[in-house]
Amino acid sequence: MMDVGAERDVNDAPVVAARGVVKRFGDLTAVDGVDLQIRPGTCYALLGPNGAGKSTLSRIIGGVSPCDDGDVHVFGMDPWEHQVEVKTRLGVVPQEDGLDEELDVLRNLHVYGLFFGLRGVAFRERAAQLLEFMELSGRETTRVVALSGGMRRRLSIARGLLSDPEMMILDEPTTGLDPQVRHAIWAALRRLRARGLTSLLTTHYMEEAAQLADTVGILHRGRLVAEDAPDALIREHLPAHVVETEIAGGAAHGSGRTTERPSRDACDASDASAADAPEGALVERYGDRLFVFHDDRETLLAWAAQHGGGRTLARAASLEDVFLKLTGRSLDA
Amino acid sequence: MRDAGYTPPRHGPPPPPSVAMRLFSVWMRHARVYADSLFANATPAVLEPLLLLLAVGVGVGRYISAEFNGLPYREFMAAGILGMTALYTAAFEATHATFVRLRYQRAYDSMLNSPITPRDVFLGELLWCATKGLFYTTIVAVVLAVAGAVSSGWIVLAPVAGFVTALAFGGLGFLVTSVVSNISQFQFFFTAGLTPMVFFSGLMFPVQELPTPLREIAFATPMFHVIETFRLLTSGPAHASASWTWVSPFVVLLTALVLGSWGVRRMERRLVR
Ligand SMILES: Nc1ncnc2c1ncn2[C@@H]1O[C@H](COP(=O)(O)OP(=O)(O)O)[C@@H](O)[C@H]1O
Ligand SMILES: [Mg+2]
Repeated sequence: MMDVGAERDVNDAPVVAARGVVKRFGDLTAVDGVDLQIRPGTCYALLGPNGAGKSTLSRIIGGVSPCDDGDVHVFGMDPWEHQVEVKTRLGVVPQEDGLDEELDVLRNLHVYGLFFGLRGVAFRERAAQLLEFMELSGRETTRVVALSGGMRRRLSIARGLLSDPEMMILDEPTTGLDPQVRHAIWAALRRLRARGLTSLLTTHYMEEAAQLADTVGILHRGRLVAEDAPDALIREHLPAHVVETEIAGGAAHGSGRTTERPSRDACDASDASAADAPEGALVERYGDRLFVFHDDRETLLAWAAQHGGGRTLARAASLEDVFLKLTGRSLDA
Repeated sequence: MRDAGYTPPRHGPPPPPSVAMRLFSVWMRHARVYADSLFANATPAVLEPLLLLLAVGVGVGRYISAEFNGLPYREFMAAGILGMTALYTAAFEATHATFVRLRYQRAYDSMLNSPITPRDVFLGELLWCATKGLFYTTIVAVVLAVAGAVSSGWIVLAPVAGFVTALAFGGLGFLVTSVVSNISQFQFFFTAGLTPMVFFSGLMFPVQELPTPLREIAFATPMFHVIETFRLLTSGPAHASASWTWVSPFVVLLTALVLGSWGVRRMERRLVR
């Protein structure tokens, strides 16, 4: 058994190593042959639209769900076969928190700590530390039903940290939260990472992945379609700059239907605006918006001045552009 | 967020919690949630059997001069009331309450993210069922003793019988819960399954006096053996329904082992996805 936790500095063996992971639900293949590795002390973000298989994959890695094919090692062990050992060393913040609403904050932590055998003075010290870390001090006796969404999520994160895990699994930790809370949670997660905590994060917010992750894997219909550092991903898949604008005569193409899939053929061949695009440009169309990518910003700006329609915006290509290019515009996988 | 001295572990992995610790922690979670609203929870469970004793045992019993199993009617009913208490407590806990935790509270998902295994989840749950069975049976036994419906010292074993009875019907409840997709389907189990069984297994009248084959059917239900066991405890062996019913406590124990372990396995399979 590899001892990743104790020898983090000298031992660079991956904390998570998965090969060819497959998970089926009846006819549906939710995870379809995923290979991934998470190195100690790094944050891996699984980025994907709803239904891409993010939760399913994180449940397999977390030892909660067995996979149908492939093999997974966490801390050098099969997480399903050795679930007690593996789960003792993991901290999980699930998508649906499952907090006991009728119990107060401290009792929720106490109940959860007992699952790990944590109690007594050790528990009280740890809980007090974490409540302060997540800015919940003074809320010990508040029932969970009375917490705001942001406080509730912070409690869920504190609960995940209770057992002093070597690795955390955070399944959409900021979905549905307002920007202030989201940024506060990001700050906490960055601090944890700075202290060497390994983490697996799932999200559909590009910014979250860009801000927190060392490696981003884009999951689409159960397959990992791209994987790299956030800026490397952008470089690999798209030119550096983009101008987005409204499509000229967009109404004729059924503009405004956000569920429409991108069709590059249609753009390149028949769209008048696309045909005007500068030499060497990459053109994408999502709904009624046209995205023209190019490595040279000046060329793009000149093009935009001449051809740009309504609401023209020039900016650097982002992870979101890569994501859209690889997974399409549809809201579901 | 503030920096409060969190540092990741430096001393190697912590020891995983033992099976005993894990079962205790699951049990403790239920106890905690339960204790938080003890009064609202416990009142109907204890009130119902006592109302039955008052309305039927005392109310109707006044007009029944005959003795059943050599006992006045009120005392004859005491065993059935104890058995019913354990049965309904456990059956409710393993059906409705379990389903709510599974589907709506997502309490089991939280457990599974910790070192708790699916088997721990339902063994712990079953232990909790049995604990509630023990608790309510004890309260009802005390009240029955005070009301003069108990004549044997064996009654001190009523908590044990309540525990084992609740294991059996908790296991049965799990078997039902493992196939149910909608919470309203439990109604069928209660009205078409448990209620007829309770009324035809010696709660209100001696089933050994039923015509064949009703009598044999009654003898085959687990509830007959539960009530027979409780009657041994409330009134002693002289008031047994048949000469062979000394086996009843063993039948109840065996039923508890079989239904309990079967039910836990079925629920495990339902939980793992
Ligand atoms: N327990 C389950 N039974 C059947 N289908 C499931 C189950 N869990 C997930 N799925 C399906 O698997 C796919 C991936 O789901 P999920 O992993 O939750 O996606 P994500 O977390 O990326 O939104 C979805 O189509 C979902 O409906
Ligand atoms: Mg999900």
